[in-house]
Order: sequence, then structure tokens, then C-alpha cells
Amino acid sequence: MTEFQQIERKQITFGGKPVPVAVVHPLDRASKAPSVLKGLVRGMRLTLGYFLRPWKVVTRQYPENRQTLRFPQRYRAMLTMIHDSQGFHRCTACKLCEKACPNGSIRVITQKGLLEGVNKLDQYIWRMDSCLLCNACVQACPFGALKMTHSFENAVYDRRLLVYNLNRYAGPPAKVLAAEPDTAKRRQMMEPRGRFDGPLPLNEGLKPVLAKTQESPVRETSA
Amino acid sequence: MSVTVRTLSELLMPPSVADSPLSTQEYFVNMGPQHPIAHGSLRIVLLLDGETIRKVIPVPGYVHRGIEKMCEHMNYRKIIPLTDRMDYLSALMNNWVVARTVEMAAGIETNARIETIRTIMSELQRLQSHVLWWGVLGMDLGAFTAFLYSFRDREIIGEIFEETIGARLTMNYIQPGGLMYDILPDFVSKVKKLLGYLRPLINEYDALLSGNAILQERLRNIGILDGKDAISLGCTGPVLRASGVPYDLRKVEPYGVYDKVDFDVVIGTKGDCWDRYYVRMEEMRQSIRIVEQLIDNLPAGPYMVTKYNARLKLPKGRYYGQVETARGVLGAFIYSDGDGDAPYRMHFRSPNFNNLWAVTHIAPGWRIADYISIQSSLDLVIPDIDR
Repeated sequence: MTEFQQIERKQITFGGKPVPVAVVHPLDRASKAPSVLKGLVRGMRLTLGYFLRPWKVVTRQYPENRQTLRFPQRYRAMLTMIHDSQGFHRCTACKLCEKACPNGSIRVITQKGLLEGVNKLDQYIWRMDSCLLCNACVQACPFGALKMTHSFENAVYDRRLLVYNLNRYAGPPAKVLAAEPDTAKRRQMMEPRGRFDGPLPLNEGLKPVLAKTQESPVRETSA
Repeated sequence: MSVTVRTLSELLMPPSVADSPLSTQEYFVNMGPQHPIAHGSLRIVLLLDGETIRKVIPVPGYVHRGIEKMCEHMNYRKIIPLTDRMDYLSALMNNWVVARTVEMAAGIETNARIETIRTIMSELQRLQSHVLWWGVLGMDLGAFTAFLYSFRDREIIGEIFEETIGARLTMNYIQPGGLMYDILPDFVSKVKKLLGYLRPLINEYDALLSGNAILQERLRNIGILDGKDAISLGCTGPVLRASGVPYDLRKVEPYGVYDKVDFDVVIGTKGDCWDRYYVRMEEMRQSIRIVEQLIDNLPAGPYMVTKYNARLKLPKGRYYGQVETARGVLGAFIYSDGDGDAPYRMHFRSPNFNNLWAVTHIAPGWRIADYISIQSSLDLVIPDIDR
């Protein structure tokens, strides 16, 4: 109860059941002249109190505090594929994330591995421009190959720059690569992929100027 | 009261001569689609006589995204992020209504931990929504300070969501079969700290805005909605309760763990804007009370009882589930044809749509400035009206 209202607690029957209710009776205070002034003065006193105590202000100066910005661990912003210290990812190209995505922002392109003889990841294409950041892909991945990172300043002038290739190499997952002792053979299995490789959504012919990536050789792809 | 259904062109008939001694003429004014009190895009056609409102014709549809149709092409897990976008201030309750209906239909039994966390999170969301509403009402009526104060506290609740869920607004947290994440170890202590911080602040809100005579004069005895009319119009939530009808789904048809907690249904007596204001103010205190009772003894158990990638297939039939959001009763109707994991038809009974049509009944006779108070006290979220 405050001085502006009276709360009357009682039991009433509604729909054949007793329901505990709190009946609000707002008090008629504004009709009296001293009360009008008192209400205004109290509001002003509160704001003046904050004015005189600037340490209670919670404003954060965003572009200035960039270096000290800390996000919670679970903060969802940029989808990334986890690459371990040796540069291997865990994606087996099972396409569960593609199926879980609510609006088709993920496209997993696989290729038939010549050395391994199984389907392996060629390109993992993620369209940030249509992504909802709903975390469904991360939840669906049975191998923990994906995670959401905290990079949130993603504004670009060209929408095509929001289409990313998440894997740094085309090839089998870390489990297969780690089992291969020969370094030269392992390197042969890993074909490099750039950040902006892959089909572009708006104009296939024009690659963004920013992406000066190595032209990858022609390969057989299956979408 | 009787309701007649007419088309927009019928309603926009040529204005008639009003029977006033000044021989004034009635005229139409478009309020919106872009108007600060719409909080989105909502067109309100007002038939005015001078400054007095004779008729109100709401024209929704500017934020229509076809969510119900889109649901027909998505499986039950993919529907959840879409429901975030309906009433974005009650995103978790929107998640819950789909999760609850799907769980009822598929026969998934959740455990006490899941239901308790869902209840706590929903109450925090209700608190956040009411805090925001309070500030926005102040801003609509010309008190910009209230808006800044409410956003300060809303962000503090938002930080709890951000730490636990990873998002502030479109959370996608409550899913069929459980939750996206378990709570963090320091969740309990943080929520307790938050409640200790917020309880005195609601008194601060009273000092800042409720005691203000200008606000009181703009809200008291304005836009009186009778309890019977509110029921006829299908109003729910604080709008209905302010008219004196103690209909709260959390009491009438308890879900989650609402049957285990002790709280009061807040009702008003008169049904004017001032009652709607105070019902929400008191509901904030009741939400704090609910969370306080639940936060101390969280039951143990897994946070998800189904496998995420398992197909959710509902048997053939029609299913309806409903929850109480911050604005009223949100219902989800699913018609499953039994094959495939997508619904054949999905319908949402959204609280804001029904609450919006209350203005057609209560606004005529009041001035334009009173209309601002009326619509602001109804607390409408436009994307939920249009879906």
C-alpha cells in the first residue's frame, strides 16, 4: 500500500472458485490544492536528487567504452565455426543445422572426398542478413561445431558482405584429420576457403571488392 | 451491447451534419499509421466533431507478416522464434503458449524444474513489460523523465535475461520439451539482488509520476470500461481486471507452478484509465511476490526432457492452449493433420487484438487528448495485433 492507493485484500467467488483478490482503490488526492503542489514537488525532488548524485547515473558511453565492453558468455551475435588450436573444425556436414534453421540462413555444401571416400564439408555458408540469431543451429549440432560469438558491430554498406563462409578449409572433421599422422597428406585433405567464398545472394557475377580471396579450383559440388 | 460487423468503406461514409447549436460538421482525421502513441504502425481513423471523438475505426495490418501462415511451413520448434516477434514485450510467454500446447498434444511430461524456471522467467518478463509500459505511458502523456527511469530498470532485468538466455528481446528460450539453457549458478543470487533493487523503485515510480496532478487529471474518470462490456469485447489481462472482473488465467486455469504460489488477482473498481494504471502498478508487486516464493527452492532435474533433433509429431486433432501474458490471454490453436511435423493450421488468439477494439467502445465522447490516455492505458503492442 502506498499513500496514493488503498489495497483491499479479500476473497471473492469467481467461476465457482474462491479467488484471492487485491482491489485497488486509487485515492482522490489531486483534487486538493496542497496535494497538487506536493505531488509536483516530490517528483522534482526525486529528479533533483539524481542530478546531485551523478554516480547513481547508469548511462554507458557506448563507442567510448568499446575496450571495456564485456558480454555474458551466452550472448548471441555472430555465428562461428569452432576451429581448435591446430585449425581443425568438427563439422561432419550432416546438415542438421540446415534443417533446424527456421528461415534457411544456412547452406551446407558437401563434396565427395577423394582420399576419404565420404561426404565432407566443402562450404558452410551462413547468411547473416536473414539470420534470426535463434540459436537453433547451435542446439541442433550433435558435434558442438558451432557457437555464437560476441561480435555485434557488423554494419556494412553492401548486403552481400553479410554472407559468410564459416569454415576455413574444406575437408573432413577434426576427428578424421587427427587420425592422419602424415602432415603432407593432411594438408592435401584440407583445401583453404576464404571468408567470402561461396555463392552470392544478390548478384552472382559480382564479388564484393573487400573479399580479395584466392580463386579456388573448380570442384564438383552438391548443394 | 451488440456488435455489428461493417466494412471500412461503409464506416467511412460521407460525414453527416452534427446536431450541435454551432452547426458544426463532422470530419475524419487519420491518426497514424505513424504516430507516437501507436508504438508501431497502427492507423486509427477518428470521426471528430470539433475535438470530440464521435467514432473510432482502428485499421490494423501495417505490421502484418503472416506469422500464422508461416507456421504452416515450419515444424513446431521453428515456430518458437516466430512467436517472439508477435508480442515482443512478452516474448517468453509467447514461447510458452506454443510449447505448452505442443507438449499437451504430444504428451510430453516436463519436470518441476522446467516449469519453475518458466514461471520465474515469465514473471520477470511481466515485470519488465509493466515497467516499460509505465515509462511509455509517461512519455505519451508528456513526462519524458518517466521513460528514461523505466528504461534504466528494464535494462537491469534485461541483463538477467542476457546472461541466462543470450538475448534481451527475442529470446526463443522456452521450447517444446524444456528450455534452451539451464540457469547459471549465480542466477538465484542475481534475481534476489534484482528484486531487492526493484521493490523500493516501484515506490519511486509512485513519487515521480503517480503523485503528479497533471497525470492524475488526465487518467482519472477517463475512458470508463464497464466489466460486462469488457467481457463482450473479449478484453483480457489488466484491461479486464481493472473493470472489476477477477479473471486471471494464472488463478482460473493454473499452468506452470502458479497453483503452488500465493498471489492476489489485482482488480479495479471503476474501469477508468487510472484503475488500469494502478492495476498494473500493483501487478508489478505481485510479480515480485511470485518470484520471491519460487526462487529459493528450485527443484533439481534436467532442463530439457526431449532430444532437440527428435521429430515432434502431433497426432491428428485440434489443440488449444493458453497462457496469461503481460497483456492478457494468449491462445494458440493448432490443427494437426497427423502426418508431417508441421501444423496444418495455426492460429493465435492474441490479447492485444481484442483489447484494441475496446477503444471503439470507450473512446467516443472523449477528446483527442483523452484518446491518448485511453490507448496508452490499454498497453497495446502492434505486432501482436497484426501478427
